[in-house]
Amino acid sequence: MAQLPEELLQLLRDPSSGKVVGTIDEDGTPHLVTKGSLTSLDGETIVFAEGFEGTQSNRNLVRSIWYDRRVSINVTKGFVSYQLKGRPYQYLITGSVFRTMIDRAREKRGPKADIAGVWVIVPEEIRNESPEHRAAEEAGRRGHSSNHLDVLKAAE
Amino acid sequence: MTIAVEEKSLSVLAELYPDVPRSIILKLDLQRRGIAFTEATAEATSEPYYRGPDQTAFSGKDPNHRPFPGPLLLRDGTTVIASPIPNQFENPYTIDYVDGRFRILDDGRFIDEVDFSPRPEFYGKTTSRGVPMESIAWSRPQRLDIYPYRYCHYWDTKDQCKFCAFFTDIKQQKQLAGDAYAKVVDPEDIYETVREALKEPGRYSQINLTAGTDYSGDIPFEKEVGRYIEVLQAIGRNFATRRFPSQLIAPAYTKRQVKRLYDETGLSSYCPDIEVWDRELFKWICSGKEKWFGRDYWIRSALHAVEVFGKGNVYTNFVAGVEFARPHGFTSIEQALDSNFEACEFFAKNGVVYLSLVWTPWKGTGLGGQKQPPLEYYVRLVRGLVEIRRNYGLSSANDDFKHCGNHGDSDLERLN
Repeated sequence: MAQLPEELLQLLRDPSSGKVVGTIDEDGTPHLVTKGSLTSLDGETIVFAEGFEGTQSNRNLVRSIWYDRRVSINVTKGFVSYQLKGRPYQYLITGSVFRTMIDRAREKRGPKADIAGVWVIVPEEIRNESPEHRAAEEAGRRGHSSNHLDVLKAAE
Repeated sequence: MTIAVEEKSLSVLAELYPDVPRSIILKLDLQRRGIAFTEATAEATSEPYYRGPDQTAFSGKDPNHRPFPGPLLLRDGTTVIASPIPNQFENPYTIDYVDGRFRILDDGRFIDEVDFSPRPEFYGKTTSRGVPMESIAWSRPQRLDIYPYRYCHYWDTKDQCKFCAFFTDIKQQKQLAGDAYAKVVDPEDIYETVREALKEPGRYSQINLTAGTDYSGDIPFEKEVGRYIEVLQAIGRNFATRRFPSQLIAPAYTKRQVKRLYDETGLSSYCPDIEVWDRELFKWICSGKEKWFGRDYWIRSALHAVEVFGKGNVYTNFVAGVEFARPHGFTSIEQALDSNFEACEFFAKNGVVYLSLVWTPWKGTGLGGQKQPPLEYYVRLVRGLVEIRRNYGLSSANDDFKHCGNHGDSDLERLN
């Protein structure tokens, strides 16, 4: 497993970043949920807590680990945004990472906050989706052909 | 047993039955074939992070016994009850420890990564009466196991269930009590142990009670029921809620006894194990249960319990594979599947969850050393059981992948 880029790590570890996990239902419909607990503890994998066993998201994740399907993650703050695609590697119901995550949940949401388990995702693709980065990438690939002309006009 | 079926491997079965995930087939096979630890694993699991209790209900009095760290944890969170007891299994999977990680090997071939749950914080502590807490309760990844009475009186008349290794000294083939364990555990010690265990955040989501059978009392089993009530009340003092997630695996009781358990304690689920469905096999394999008071009584008790605990809160386990035991067992896979599906359908229709667990023919038991059915039998069995229960709107939350570790069928229900 490779070390995640520093900018992405900062984003993942920032509690004020927006974090979304995308999974696929049995019939192929995408299912998106926000995951405030999502972070990276080891700098290589993504972890997030699941509140209940029976949620659609959790069942999709179980299906993904059983049948080797990928999940998507988006982390965004301001104009910095990353998309990751990866595979669920582990579902933790006990152990030191589980303990860290339940302790965090209780620090944040009070002593009665509970989690069912913790998913560990191994990223396979990381894509910088920040507008500036995407614009530069697009310009490199297609020149200015996709820009609106008013964006390119000279200052008055 | 002579079953004319080709033994198919884990990977072949995973392709043949794509609706059963590989991890569940692996679990079934780990339980069926057993496991063996390498020296590196034995050492790593003896370290403080993993170290298990000094003895468990199944470890016997082997002086060379090293503490087991508890069930295996597969990557998807599936819990697997399997004990690496030496010289028990013909062809076990190996659990090795390399570069800080545990791995499952089959004949040297890497199968998957695996882990164990950490040693709970209450192990190593004592109750106010000086009793080691790790002799009172044992830890599974999300479950606390308590055995308040460590002797089974079926053994007194040689009527123990023929597959049973519970509290059995494997070498001497007798019950352990009194010397290695206190026979009766004091409810106050249980109260204090549970209180201590609950200090660990998120560590447990269920308490399970079971014990050896004690049919004594003016009314049969009355003493045992009274003991369970006392213990459950002691445990209940730890909770702010009237009911707490719990299961009692116990003999079949009368409706009045079951009602007392429900009314006088916070118990949430009851499980009188039928062990084997076929009438004649039940008589032969479970002669103690047959004496006290027979298969029909056990079935009736489970059904009555649904009126008390509600649909889906009554379970009955069966030892999958023991229905093939020689010399009276089934000789065909189809016969055994038909029998178990008939049982599952009957119980499900009546609100009872009929759950399978894999038979281990422990050498110290009456059926020791016999051959289990092929892995494919277990795969077909768990698929069929889940489908039947789904049709009746039943699931097994009390005995699911994280609470028990014995049931491939309830593991499959995670997508329901």
